[in-house]
Amino acid sequence: MDDAVTQCPTCHVAVGASERFCEACGAGLSPTVGAVEPVPAEESMKGTPVPDDLGGTASTCQACGGEVSADGYCGTCGARAPRRRDHFSEQPAAWVAAVCDRGIRHTRNEDAVALAADAEPGSRAVVVVCDGVSSSVDSDLASLAAARAARDVLAFSRSRGMGTGLSLAAAVIARLEAAADAASEAVLEVTSKANNLAAVGSQSVPNPASCTFVAAVLEQDLLVVGSVGDSRVYWLPDTGDATALTLDDSFAQEQIAAGVPRAQAEAGPQSHAITRWLGADAPEHRPTTATMTIAAPGWLLVCSDGLWNYCSAAKDLAELVAQTASSSPAAAEPLALAGALVDWANARGGKDNITVALARIHPG
Amino acid sequence: MADFSAEVYQNEFLPDGGTDVHAIVTVTCTGAGAAGQAGHGDAAEIVIVDTSGSMGQFNIRAAQQAAAAAIDQIIDGTWFAVIAGTHEARMAFPAGRAELGMVQMDSTTRTSAKRAVSSLRADGGTAMGTWLTMAARVFATVPSLAQKHAILLTDGENQHETPEQLTAAIEAARGQFQCDCRGVGSDWQVAQVRRISQALMGTVDIIPTGAQMAETFETLMRQSMGRGVASATLRVWAPQGAQLLFVSQVAPTVLDLTSRRQEVNALTGGFPTGSWGDESRDYHVAIRLAAKGIGQEQLAARVQLAIGDSVVAQGLVKAMWSSDDTLTTRINPEVAHYTGQTELADAIQEGLAAKAIGDDVTATAKLGRAVQLAAETGNDEATAKLKKVVDIDDPNAGTVRLRRGVDKLDEMALDTASTKTTRVKK
Repeated sequence: MDDAVTQCPTCHVAVGASERFCEACGAGLSPTVGAVEPVPAEESMKGTPVPDDLGGTASTCQACGGEVSADGYCGTCGARAPRRRDHFSEQPAAWVAAVCDRGIRHTRNEDAVALAADAEPGSRAVVVVCDGVSSSVDSDLASLAAARAARDVLAFSRSRGMGTGLSLAAAVIARLEAAADAASEAVLEVTSKANNLAAVGSQSVPNPASCTFVAAVLEQDLLVVGSVGDSRVYWLPDTGDATALTLDDSFAQEQIAAGVPRAQAEAGPQSHAITRWLGADAPEHRPTTATMTIAAPGWLLVCSDGLWNYCSAAKDLAELVAQTASSSPAAAEPLALAGALVDWANARGGKDNITVALARIHPG
Repeated sequence: MADFSAEVYQNEFLPDGGTDVHAIVTVTCTGAGAAGQAGHGDAAEIVIVDTSGSMGQFNIRAAQQAAAAAIDQIIDGTWFAVIAGTHEARMAFPAGRAELGMVQMDSTTRTSAKRAVSSLRADGGTAMGTWLTMAARVFATVPSLAQKHAILLTDGENQHETPEQLTAAIEAARGQFQCDCRGVGSDWQVAQVRRISQALMGTVDIIPTGAQMAETFETLMRQSMGRGVASATLRVWAPQGAQLLFVSQVAPTVLDLTSRRQEVNALTGGFPTGSWGDESRDYHVAIRLAAKGIGQEQLAARVQLAIGDSVVAQGLVKAMWSSDDTLTTRINPEVAHYTGQTELADAIQEGLAAKAIGDDVTATAKLGRAVQLAAETGNDEATAKLKKVVDIDDPNAGTVRLRRGVDKLDEMALDTASTKTTRVKK
């Protein structure tokens, strides 16, 4: 991201000239902001269409329950119906669920999530989150294609090496690397389709589609995570210390590594600039991996910066999750809890897209 | 098949707490074809000629020629009739039958009709309500009609029936047919005839002398024959809980449609627009919404043109609440232009009405405001006509003096032209 740096007109932090939103405050930065014409509903849909299951708008109005008209607005109250891509959830098994949401400030949802899980609680699960980089075109398509491609690789492959211990961990790490390759391929394909449509060579696209990548694979008590960029995996045990299992590839993390306190580093003007990503202009995309053995009940939480922006430290996040889950028995269900955490981030301003994926684990 | 399109001009940004959304919706029709040719029902024309005694030798002769000129423009196959109007209505063509009726145009009926109108005589009084009532009954004799249009000519005041009788006749005719009205000379009342033309979705204008009558009739009939879309309705949907403040046609003429609402469903009103040729009409729609939070967006109105039950064009009027003053204070040029033009029409009519009763103070103020608005909105025709009624000291400030010895025809021309609008200069 070697854009010329300008200032966000809203919060005055430094931003790249081609960024479409301020990463700090979420304000729109594109030259069209302030024009009377709103962003067309299908603005991003060139080249590759959004997959059918997330195309178009919801048919029922979220505001009043009325029927949504073909023009994308409620036929009763006139509320703009969200595009399905703007807010969707997945729940492959009762114990694994995710909610992916546009947030408040952005005009489209460039986050994506894809899940797979076996029915037996705590047995086997795959969670992939990709966060499209908003300075590039079609990042909403790229992130979704990447997350689903990676999920498919991880869900299909059951190679276990020698079957136990280090050998199983090595096999899962190899799967994660293959999944990152597949995700990267999917991103490149989106850029290539955009190029074909623009009838220009791939080198001439100024901002090829790009996104972050984080995946968590649970094989019974073994958890393996891999990450490129700044989407995160947290392990939040019901008792004991919560931990972040990933390290961001970001300017802020580099500062933290150099000794700057986390809160200060993450508040800095360039803190959200990521140093690694998937995309045509990425030098490499080998995920940084980590493994752990799960020995106590807790929550596996995978999220984009739309959530952790408001609650970065693992300890704070564990408190937030515990508090949110304790409000009622139903609130402790994975889908309800993920939705409640998305609502919480929106209530804090929703300045970025928000993805929250949760798996409830009760070992042994 | 006719093609319709709709374009919306508005500033959709509302400030915190803002509730009122204004938009101009331009509806354009192309490929309308000729009247009665679409296969959805026949077209019919009635020419209504004032044959009261006041027409005199010269004007009755001009009226005969004008009726003949109109007949020449009617396409073969179109149903037609001619009514002679005095203190009562009489069938001039087809005549000689016990009951009312119409005939279809062909070479024979065209010749017969022109012969019939050449024998019209000036004799009797004026009761325009009876003319409208008969026209409605004549149209009703042909069940296959989809498009009904009349041209009404008068030269004088409606003396031989009460205002209540005229009102009742207008209301009974409303929705039955469209009627373009023309007054010849200066002895008729613009306000009276305008009531008829506005209720019956037509135009009103002055024909200064009988010599210009034939050309006017020919033009009116040619225009009517070019309206291949028999009938269309403007539909306006507003969200539940919202209030539709008004719906007004603002171009080519100002016509408030608000009270003509017919319920399509609880949230949608239908406003009849009559027949369409290849043309463009602008509508001003104003909606009052419950204010929403900053950053929220909603639809304020769907403005559609419908032919029967099928929607052929739609424009979306939106509302977005913003804390950005540069967005919310922006004035949409189309909305501002037509707001000014609507006020201009009112100012001219109110100014002339005040002048007629000798209230020179009000007349000077209203006509001064009209001069100002005409200058602001670039309505050169209105400015030219105003100049014949007032001396303009300062068009920008709207300071004027009433002229003495104004030609009555000039005053009436200003009055009839008051509702004509100019379009926004792009």
